[in-house]
Amino acid sequence: MRPLALVVVPLLACLGLVLPVIRARVTVFLIGVAIVTSAVAALEAVVPFDQPLLDHLVRVDATSRLFLAVINPIFLGVSVYVWNRVATTPALRDGMVRFTGFALVFLAASNAVLIANHLMVVWIALEVTALTAAALIVRAGVRSSYQASLRYLLFSSVGLGFVLLGILCLTRGMEATGQTPAFFIDELPALAKGEAGPWRELGVALMILGLGTKLGLAPMYSWLPEAYDEAPPAVTALLAAVQFNCALVMLFRIVHVYRPGSEGLITGILVGLGIISMAISTVSIIATRNIKRLIAYASINHAGVIAIGLGVGKSASYGLMLYVISNAFIKAILFLTAGKIKAHYRTKDTRQISGLVKDLPYSGVFLMVGTFALLGFPPFGSFVGELLILSALVSSHQLLVFAAFCALITMSFVATGRTIFPMIWGQPREQNDWPRQTFLSAAPKIGFLVALLVLGIYIPPVINNLIQQVATSLEGR
Amino acid sequence: MSPLLIALLGVLLVPLFVTTWRTTLFGLALQGFLMAWIAQRINPESASIGDWLTMLDLVVVRGLWAPIALYGALRAQQASERGDVIPPNLLSWTIALGMVLAAFSFADALDVGGGDDQQTLVAVATAAVLLGLLLLATQPGPFSQMVGAIRIENGIALFELGGDHHRQAIGIQIAQIVIVVVTISLFRWYLKALHTIPPAGPGPGQEQPTL
Repeated sequence: MRPLALVVVPLLACLGLVLPVIRARVTVFLIGVAIVTSAVAALEAVVPFDQPLLDHLVRVDATSRLFLAVINPIFLGVSVYVWNRVATTPALRDGMVRFTGFALVFLAASNAVLIANHLMVVWIALEVTALTAAALIVRAGVRSSYQASLRYLLFSSVGLGFVLLGILCLTRGMEATGQTPAFFIDELPALAKGEAGPWRELGVALMILGLGTKLGLAPMYSWLPEAYDEAPPAVTALLAAVQFNCALVMLFRIVHVYRPGSEGLITGILVGLGIISMAISTVSIIATRNIKRLIAYASINHAGVIAIGLGVGKSASYGLMLYVISNAFIKAILFLTAGKIKAHYRTKDTRQISGLVKDLPYSGVFLMVGTFALLGFPPFGSFVGELLILSALVSSHQLLVFAAFCALITMSFVATGRTIFPMIWGQPREQNDWPRQTFLSAAPKIGFLVALLVLGIYIPPVINNLIQQVATSLEGR
Repeated sequence: MSPLLIALLGVLLVPLFVTTWRTTLFGLALQGFLMAWIAQRINPESASIGDWLTMLDLVVVRGLWAPIALYGALRAQQASERGDVIPPNLLSWTIALGMVLAAFSFADALDVGGGDDQQTLVAVATAAVLLGLLLLATQPGPFSQMVGAIRIENGIALFELGGDHHRQAIGIQIAQIVIVVVTISLFRWYLKALHTIPPAGPGPGQEQPTL
């Protein structure tokens, strides 16, 4: 029953918010819940619990274990960040019970996406993450945040609507071949054997398009920069590092099941969406002067790289996994750092911020290291990941895609550096006497940074084994 | 069943050409009721809990709750009578009609099985999704966009009625209904909030601190 704790504990904790004693220490309570779920996730990674639960609705496989071990510690880091922000900014205390309630339901639903063994349950859990995230994006009294939240909800509804439509098309496909429709994920590979008919192809295409919307892939990406920009930084980190990976895990499962029968379709859609997303995001990175939007466009760029790696499959898969996991920690570091910077300078305009290394040393260093990792510098996992994806593109003779990939990544590299490096190393515009940053305020980002370095230098055998298992399932051989 | 499906197609199209928000909401209500009628015709011996849940979803949630919730929000803010759902010009109307034709061609090309009724059902469901996407793509206003999203969800619900009638488990059906109810409640909340919060936000340096 251990995996169920990942869903049940946050939900029970949410009910506990009615108690005054908990409401008085709500940020500490949030950290406590995150510690429990992180510990259970770590235990799952080390000592797997292989038994199916609840009539097969719950089953923890290698993909679940790996991503549970990524999203729960990130949620813990965000909780510590929130605790520190509230401790240093008393004005934030008012909305904390509401924030904690939604964040706990979001965590429970995210964990449910990862451990569920039924496509419809995964879909429902993803819908719950979208509904709670929509509420979290809103900042009281700020009209633009309501607009961004509404846009996010509309795109999520449509994207997940396409996923549901895809599931219904798969049902039709099964009925057309005389099979009884069933959506238990571990049974789908057996049902997906044989020639893919038009219903199955349509279903797979719709599901990829719908999940692509959740990942911020073109053509339905426009919600992402707006939502990431308007949401409080802690919520942006949850969207970018937790929810992104939940949608990605569902996409992994679809690709794993249906690649053998629909290889050309899946590769074509994913590589096509990936290249278009990279092109659009590169132009946007060049144009923007808003630090949060710049990181948001870089996220779209990364989603494009991930789509290409997933589309190519084969030897790109291991690199893809390194890239995906590194990406989660990079985005958590960068969005939390952007939040810190905005809280100090009261602006997101990159031209108004200069000399961070002298002015806010912790934030300056985190922005610098996060940017290096974002751009794929060694020794970070993103470097190895990108290299392996490029190598797989060459070995699968996709040379045009390789050329476009290299050109776009170089342009986004130059554009990002041109905007961010003056913020880090430029001369401070005015002498500011900021309050000294404490170690605790930097602790979550230090934790993420350590994880990032570990992925690039020495991956513990337990994690490496999980990465290899997931990569093998995605190779499509 | 085909006359009902053609009537539903009419209900999908007519509110696009009549530019008042009351017509739009009346159209949404009719969509819910017609889909419930279609569900009853597909499975006349409705007796299981799953069948009753389908009726609850189509009649109460989509036919009554969605239009009434949005109507209440718009009426409270005394919204002007006119409310375009697509730009009122020949190009938009041509695109809308072209989408309906494309939906029927798409259903022709697919091996739908189950006879003409099933083929028409797939065509009308596809038309509902495409017209919903047209609304989302052409209208910036929150109300029109919400209507677009609800039309897409209705199209998916119609598609779900077809096929060999394999129902989802009761728990999953209930969860789906709850999701639609919460989504529409959020839409109502946004409509109210966007009306009450002034357009000009706080200037630089005046924003409240955020997490």
